[in-house]
Amino acid sequence: MFIEIGHFAVITALVLSLVGIVTPILGLNTKNPAWVRIARQAITVNFFLISTGIASLIYAYLTHDYSVMYVASTSNSKLPVFYKVAGLWGGHEGSLLLWVWILTTFCMIAAWLHWKTQPAVMPYLLAVESLVVFGFLSLIVFLSSPFERLYPVPVDGKDLNPLLQDPAMVVHPPMLYFGYVGFSIPFAFAMAALLSGRLGEEWIKATQRWTLFAWMCLTTGILMGGYWAYYELGWGGYWGWDPVENASFMPWLVGTAFLHSVMVQEKRKMFKVWNLFLIILTFSLSLIGTFLVRSGVLSSVHTFATDPGRGLYILIFLTIILTLGFGTLILRSGKLKSQIEMDSIVSKESIFLFNNLFFLVAAATVFLGTLYPLLVETLEFQKVSVGPPYYNAVFMPVAMGLILLMGIGPYIPWRKASLENLKRIFLVPTLTALGVGILFALLGIRNAYALVGLVVVFFVLFAILLDFGKVSALFIRRDGVNVLSGIYRAFTHNQRRYAGIITHLGVLVMTVGIIASTIYQIERVVFMKPGDELQLKAYTFKFLGTHEVQGPNWVAQEGIFNVYQGERFITQMRPQKRIYTVSQTPTTESAIYTVNMGHIFLTMPETSHEGGVTVRGLINPLVLWVWYGGAIMGLGVFLNIFRPRRREAFVPAPVSIEPDVALNMPGPRRSG
Amino acid sequence: MTRGKKIGIIFSIALIISGIGYLALGNFGKNLVYFFTPSEVVALSPDYYGKKVRVGGMVVKGSLKVIPSSLKLTFELTDGRATIPVAFEGVPPDLFKEGQGAVVEGYWDEQKQFHSSLIMAKHSEDYMPIELQKAGVQLPKKDLLKTLQ
Repeated sequence: MFIEIGHFAVITALVLSLVGIVTPILGLNTKNPAWVRIARQAITVNFFLISTGIASLIYAYLTHDYSVMYVASTSNSKLPVFYKVAGLWGGHEGSLLLWVWILTTFCMIAAWLHWKTQPAVMPYLLAVESLVVFGFLSLIVFLSSPFERLYPVPVDGKDLNPLLQDPAMVVHPPMLYFGYVGFSIPFAFAMAALLSGRLGEEWIKATQRWTLFAWMCLTTGILMGGYWAYYELGWGGYWGWDPVENASFMPWLVGTAFLHSVMVQEKRKMFKVWNLFLIILTFSLSLIGTFLVRSGVLSSVHTFATDPGRGLYILIFLTIILTLGFGTLILRSGKLKSQIEMDSIVSKESIFLFNNLFFLVAAATVFLGTLYPLLVETLEFQKVSVGPPYYNAVFMPVAMGLILLMGIGPYIPWRKASLENLKRIFLVPTLTALGVGILFALLGIRNAYALVGLVVVFFVLFAILLDFGKVSALFIRRDGVNVLSGIYRAFTHNQRRYAGIITHLGVLVMTVGIIASTIYQIERVVFMKPGDELQLKAYTFKFLGTHEVQGPNWVAQEGIFNVYQGERFITQMRPQKRIYTVSQTPTTESAIYTVNMGHIFLTMPETSHEGGVTVRGLINPLVLWVWYGGAIMGLGVFLNIFRPRRREAFVPAPVSIEPDVALNMPGPRRSG
Repeated sequence: MTRGKKIGIIFSIALIISGIGYLALGNFGKNLVYFFTPSEVVALSPDYYGKKVRVGGMVVKGSLKVIPSSLKLTFELTDGRATIPVAFEGVPPDLFKEGQGAVVEGYWDEQKQFHSSLIMAKHSEDYMPIELQKAGVQLPKKDLLKTLQ
């Protein structure tokens, strides 16, 4: 019964989203603000309707209503409550519903938040967002409904995929969706700016925090996916250039480029068309990412074979959004000549330019590798895939270039840097970094990639420290305070800048983690009988045997390994081979022991041999730095989003007007 | 902005793009792995012997043999029309078992033997490689209800 209410609510939401598209356009044409109000109400009501849909599904999960097909295929009565709710996004249909729910939530918040400050943008924002809502809802209602009933009703559910029964995996998809959907707000603002002809810096300032929020969520989501893959898949790596990982990485790359290049428009009124292009591209890639993952277009560990109707629908919807976005951009970009040109190649502007260039080229190479197989398949009826070495070969130098720019961009002056400037800012970091490089080489680091990487990382680190040290010293001297409060004042006096620098520091930490855990990883796979020993670097693993363990919804063979460093016993590790009883799915549970922020990683992938097991041992030095770095990056963005609005105090407060008035105002550059 | 500076910027952009482009395209061809079905594999021309390819098919029931005290196993892979023997050494994924779909990466040789050290992990147990489905292979349709009872 509840499920029908939910289903009905979502169908009503579909109709209302049409209202949301049409009424703002009517409002613009008739200059009657009442229409725009209706659109806002439609979005608000839609939020409640889709929430009802979600609530009805969650109710079905909690009450074990397996007459709902989607619930039956992603849940089971023995599942812990936590995973019962998470079953909602354990499959294609539910994830789409969650996506559209987040979209209406954000859109409603944006509508109420910016209603008075951005009245002229509002009709376009509502129409564009409603269009996206409409696109998703029709896919849900017509082609992949999670509300379908199943008859006869099964006694119990099929169970949630055991690999997804994991806390990181519960949070990972919603995080990614927050990121994807978060970019829809700047996208809608950009479209509004293009359509209304208000092409100043307004839209960028209004959406700055939205962009940061989206970026933070997307970054967290991607990292959580990596973390999950690391310990749950038992493969000991966190990134495999899988098409689905790539699908979330492409919007991240372009979004990061956007995040940087808007600063140039704010400060120097340049890159106007470019920024619009970037945000339209970011959101388009977010949509492509969403669809690629579960549409069955890509063959990957994440995708399932699904019906081709969905694929076709998705293709049409994407085409509409892309045509609308880029079409408007092309038609309107003529009006967007930057009045200011670049002064010199040795300037902050040009560093931003190269930053963008690197990010975009990176995105293009990922795009090529991910979608080329699809192209070949359509044209030649051949099936291919692109291996990780392709990505690694391209990405190593691109990443090095980007990290190097992190040490230059924030410190080089705008317009034009003199030789004097350059010497003062970069001489010390360059020399110290080279010194550190020589030191590392003497200590025995011979791998060229590792060495170059570390030199670049230390160059950036010294550049950051030098600059921040100088600014802090200034505050300490000027205000006569102690070191700590000097640092605090330096940080808060320009929190936006230094929060960004914290994010850069996070990238450095992560880079060191990636270098250490990939280049210096040690791996061995062996067959072991009880009593056998395995030697990995300084560690010896003694296999004692296996025994059976019983879990709430699984049984496992657990191996017992004593780990010695030299002669000294350090720990006992117990990897498992589990069988989830309901679905009879086996999983490999890794045993992880942390030493010096690195991991000893042990799995037992095969236990079915007679008298022995297959053991896979890994040493991943400094692997924790990858996630520590991620956390620092997140902290930086967090401090950036929630920085006090001190600077804005000097700017006259935006005139509060309702769209009523705004509709009747002539657009500033509309006629010209 | 003078002409010289403009040329400088355009030149450096071109340099970076061509550098990365060279890396990308240079590595692209080398890392393309073609996907075949078993019936395509048996018909492969000798040019492909020893080249890295992927093969998707069903693991034939009763064909899986584990070689004791080693990481080796052998099995047969079929698409309903042709069957190929696979010698595998390494760590098979959790969901690898007889009667299920699998994609193996490795090479085919003159002895009509497929050698592999990588089997793809799949997320779901009723996963079926999409390529396979397109190739017209019908997996035994598992009745949802039957598996539940």
